[in-house]
Amino acid sequence: MSRFKDFSLLILFLIYGSGLWAQCCTSGNPFISDAEQPALQSRILNASLTYRYSHSGPYYIGDAHFTELPYQEVAYSNYMELQLGYGVTNWLTVLTELGYSVNKTLETPGVDSYKGYGLGDAALYLKFNAYSNSKLRLTISPTIGVKFPIGVFDQEVDNVQLPISVQPSSGAFRYIANIFVSKGFGKTAIAGFASYEYSQLIQSGNFYYKYGDQWIGSIYFNYRPWKRLILDLQVRNEFRGKSSRENSEIVEASGYYVIYFTPQVTYAFKHNWYLSSFADIPLYKYYNGIQMTFGYAVALRLTKKIDFIAIQARTQARKSNQPTVEE
Amino acid sequence: MSKISLVFILVIVCLLACSKKKDSTPSADIKIISLTASANPVMAFDTTVITMEANGKNLQYAWVANHGKLKGSGKTVKYSACQSCIGHNTITCRLLNETGEVSDTVMIRVTEWHPKNKH
Repeated sequence: MSRFKDFSLLILFLIYGSGLWAQCCTSGNPFISDAEQPALQSRILNASLTYRYSHSGPYYIGDAHFTELPYQEVAYSNYMELQLGYGVTNWLTVLTELGYSVNKTLETPGVDSYKGYGLGDAALYLKFNAYSNSKLRLTISPTIGVKFPIGVFDQEVDNVQLPISVQPSSGAFRYIANIFVSKGFGKTAIAGFASYEYSQLIQSGNFYYKYGDQWIGSIYFNYRPWKRLILDLQVRNEFRGKSSRENSEIVEASGYYVIYFTPQVTYAFKHNWYLSSFADIPLYKYYNGIQMTFGYAVALRLTKKIDFIAIQARTQARKSNQPTVEE
Repeated sequence: MSKISLVFILVIVCLLACSKKKDSTPSADIKIISLTASANPVMAFDTTVITMEANGKNLQYAWVANHGKLKGSGKTVKYSACQSCIGHNTITCRLLNETGEVSDTVMIRVTEWHPKNKH
């Protein structure tokens, strides 16, 4: 019966996920917006696989719909990301991620679509458990990280180079610093997250371009109505400064300010398996100049948590013929 | 744990080691006649057709734009100007065959979109 319930919930997740829609117009991995987590405890491995669909389309001038274009363009992407996190000590968690774009497509009427695909960026993060008080249920976890442009860049189709916006990899290193603060109250928790990203100059054989700095600030409301179900509501604002090109020329039609609403549902299955579904819905958009804007995104994440200390304890218990402890 | 860390590091090092190199031997057998654009300057959200005329056997054409979008193949491509590529943009065409390759560039000036500019 329990298995049937779990299976039904899995189906519900998939239906919910497929019925919704995901960030366009920048090279490299998109920002995965699910609820941030504090640093892991020592010897805990967290492995997750995320699928994200994003859709962009409407052109904006400032915060208004720009309707004078002679055609309609849309961009969409199907993206997968593998993340591994390990609690090296109780105060240090090492996180890695690897992105892969199944497709990053830009469709313009009258011409074949521009379609990039392939390996995106790899990232390495160090997350610190700066403060943790289980009595107060308060945690503070700062993180530093680097995104490595190891994937496909300068991609061509029929010997014609694809535009930068559909290149799967960033083409340059990106440096990230963020902080996550969480405070629990009964069945709920409130968390805050602030992040800064600096992009290096892209200086490939064909492109000379530097994306503007990115700032993200978000507030999460976390609620656990049942033991296995977790709900997160997130309001996030994302700011990206203007890009620059050759001779330090500022690209006026670049950079934006967007406020998103991100609802998330997570179901905890047996044996530390978790399935999350979340969506990015823009509430307010301001884009410098005239730009194609973000439409919506939907994502599914499957996570497995392995507690090596618990495994070791069970193994030792078995060896000494003692009763096992449930994971 | 140490094994897992080693696997992570090895994967990243292997991926970082991957790089792409292009051989380019200049060819005396390929002669470029012209590289032209049907419109220059071009307004953002408009297009211009770029054509390479050249002499040589079994020519292959490879196109690159430093800003903006290119579509097409062979001797003619269409360049789509965007609002974020206002300024001077370089379109490069490489011609290749078994004897080597040559290349030429054309500079396209993209101007800001404005309703007054519309005809």
